[in-house]
Formats: sequence, C-alpha cells, structure tokens
Amino acid sequence: MKRHLAIAGLATLVALGAAAQGKGPGKDVYEKTCALCHGPGLAGAPKYGNKADWAARLKAGTAKLYTSALKGTANGMPGKGGNLALSDAEVKAAVDYLVASVGEAKAAAAPAPAKAVPAPTAAKAAPAPAAAAPVAVVPAPVAPPVPRAASAAPGAVATVDPNAFNRLLAAPGKRNAPPAEDGIHDAANPGTHALQPPLTALAGMPPLGAGNRVNWVSSLDGGKIRPRWDRDDATAAAVVMDLNIVREVKGSMPDVVYPHKQHTEWLDCSNCHPQIFIPQKGANQISMASIMLGQKCGVCHGKVAFPVSECRLCHSKKKDAAPAAALAGAKP
Amino acid sequence: MEKISPPGLRARLVGLLLAATACAGLFFAQSDPVRAEYGDVVINNHSDAAGVRPVVFPHWFHRVRFRCKVCHSDLGFKFQAGGNDINMVKIIDGQFCGACHNGSVAWSVENCDLCHSGKPNTPTQVHESTIQSLVGTAAPPAANAKR
Repeated sequence: MKRHLAIAGLATLVALGAAAQGKGPGKDVYEKTCALCHGPGLAGAPKYGNKADWAARLKAGTAKLYTSALKGTANGMPGKGGNLALSDAEVKAAVDYLVASVGEAKAAAAPAPAKAVPAPTAAKAAPAPAAAAPVAVVPAPVAPPVPRAASAAPGAVATVDPNAFNRLLAAPGKRNAPPAEDGIHDAANPGTHALQPPLTALAGMPPLGAGNRVNWVSSLDGGKIRPRWDRDDATAAAVVMDLNIVREVKGSMPDVVYPHKQHTEWLDCSNCHPQIFIPQKGANQISMASIMLGQKCGVCHGKVAFPVSECRLCHSKKKDAAPAAALAGAKP
Repeated sequence: MEKISPPGLRARLVGLLLAATACAGLFFAQSDPVRAEYGDVVINNHSDAAGVRPVVFPHWFHRVRFRCKVCHSDLGFKFQAGGNDINMVKIIDGQFCGACHNGSVAWSVENCDLCHSGKPNTPTQVHESTIQSLVGTAAPPAANAKR
C-alpha cells in the first residue's frame, strides 16, 4: 500500500515537473495573474490541480471556460483575471494550463505513471510567448504618450492624426484604466492584478463628462448602487434633509442652487458644519478660486465629487431678467 | 582561458542588468502618462521609509459600497490626503482602515500588497484632482523628483 502511494506521489512529482518545465505563455500568465486566486482557491475560485473544483466546469466545455475567463463571471471572476493588459490568446493559454493541471492529477492518480499529456493544449495557444513576461513594465508600448508638461519637446509627438493631439484629456479608450496600467499602481506587485478594474464596477452606471465618468448621485437615486450608510448595518437609512439654498452669484453665471438632499444622502451634517461651512445663510465667502484650491466646496468637488468643469450642475438657476434690467435702467 | 570565471561573469551580468533597469526607469518615468482613476489617493506618509510600496486608496471602489459618511464621520477620516496619521498598529487596533479591514467587514491586514500597491516614491496626493492639475505633481518617481 505504502509503495503504491509512493509511486503515485512520484508520478505526481514527475507530472508536476513536466508541467513546470515552462509550457510557454499559459504558465507565465497563470503565475503572474491567475495564481493569486486559483492557487489557494480564494473567493471560491477553482484551485489549480484540484479535480473536484474543476469537474463541473469542465463538463460545460472549454469554450465556456474561455468565455468565463475572458469576460468574467457573476461569482467574482474578473474579466481576464482583472489584468486587462492580457491578450485573449494569453488568457486562453492560461485556461489551458489550468485545465491541464487537473488532467495531470488524474493521470498521476492512476497506478501507471502516465506520461504527462497536457502539453498539446497548453502549447497550442502560443502566439504571444514573450507578451506575458513584460507585465512588470507594462505601460511601455502605449500609443503616443500624451505629454503632460508644456516643456515636453514638440518634436516628440509622432502622430499623424491631428485630432489625436490632446494635451490634457485622456482619450476615451484610456479612461478608467485597470490598476496595472493606471500609472500609479506598481505592475510588478502581484496584488495589483487582484484589484478590481474600475470599469467592471462603473460600466452600468449613468455617465457624466468628468471625474470617474459616472454620475454618482443618479446612480444612487436610480438604485444602481446601494452603498451602506452604516459600516455594519446594511439596512440603515440615510438621514436626509431636503432644503435648497440659493446663492446669488455676482457675475453673469446662473445662480447656484445648493441641494442639501443630495449631500445628506452621502454625508453627515458634521462633515461640513461648522468646520467648512458656517450654518448660516450669507456667512460663507465662497469663490471659484478657493474651490479650485481645495477650499469650501473644493474639499470634495475636484477631488472625489464632480469637478468644477461641470459648471451647470451647481450654477443651475437662471437669474431673474427683471431686476437686472431695472438695475441697468437705474444707472445714470 | 576562454571560459569567463563565474564571479566575473556574474559581475558583468549584474552591471548590465543595473544599467538596463536604470535606462528603463528613466524612459518610463518620462513617457508613462498617469491615468489614475479620479479620486485615487496615494498615501506615502511612512511607506517609503518603511521599505514598502505606498498605499493606493481608490475612492470609487469604496464609494460603490459605502457612503462618504461611514469613513469621514463615523471612522474619523479627515478630508485631507495624508492628513490622517495612519499606521499599521492603529489599523490592527481597529482604527481607520482597520475598522473594516479586520477579516469581518472586509479582508484583513495580511493581504499587504492589495493596499501597498503603489509605485515606490509616489508622493502623497489625490490623483486627477483639480489642485493636482493646477499645481502639477502627477507623475511618480523621477519626473517628480526633478521639480
């Protein structure tokens, strides 16, 4: 009995060894991206080499597995394992590699030390062998870099399409970049690839022209998101106060309507009063300059709440024409 | 004699690698545009000094799950990037991030690299913020150092 076990164990080792001998991109991708969850089986992920985890999934067919891996699943598998920098071929190669891992375990369990068979599946999707390796330095070959500083050499812009030049705005395809490509996350950090890519959360929400490119207020109103009001109690309801404050502004812009309602759906009174705003009409000096420097409304607007580019969301009340005309007429 | 002695070879390889890394670092620091999500906060109060990657706090991710009030009122986070003196002792003690990241509301502190995931030497700031575009400290390491 012991001998059988020993043989089985040896066979497993041999088989694993064969698998470990670099089956190209599948293995690389697996180790860099998939292993974080599929290694230990985090969050219900089917474990590498665990036959029981994979049996039902394999029955559904490899095509279904490819789709799940590429698009993600409702069970928590993010599309492409959260690393959108991967090509479809690389993802499929990683799926093949994972599938092969259970094929091997089966072969090894049989008393005859079957020669590891998984090679053909893993090897067939090999069109991008080197692509998995440079994940650590991933943002390298992105299209023409948008020069941030005005001092950047003008000759460096090697673009043919005149409309492609835009110094300040991210191109539509470059918004809501996944963590590994956003320029602040370290792509060499394994945890980076486990983080949720923004688009998987923000995709279905009503759009806005700035900020996260979603309208948080209408997302909440429309029930697209249900953020908790209390850390532990999922049923706690916000203490909402419905009171509009109109601020008449000096220039030609429409007056500002400040809605307490939308603010108290997210915030507590004490977040703003009395530290940022004295709770008394006319007691607060507010200017666009101070907002843009992060004071008053700018404590949130321009950092997490919609930025100042969305003028009309605040400046929303048309000035009365009559008093203005009367004022003009009164002038000598 | 035609065989290079192992130590010599290793030294050359290391040298080559270092040079390559330095070149790559310079190149990417200049050409790599920061496209962080609006409201992503990099917190680097102690991280660089402690030899870990700085923390990236994604507002959008937390906003989908909790209202502002939970952290900024109940947990006492000030509206100021880097203005909350957070350290791991406090977190393990249940303060700040530790109020949720305790293994019951959210995953626990042993997943270091999920928070400590920023590029080393990135300064504390709110990314994509208006003030960042006015004052301009967007880029991480090298581009920032020369300012």
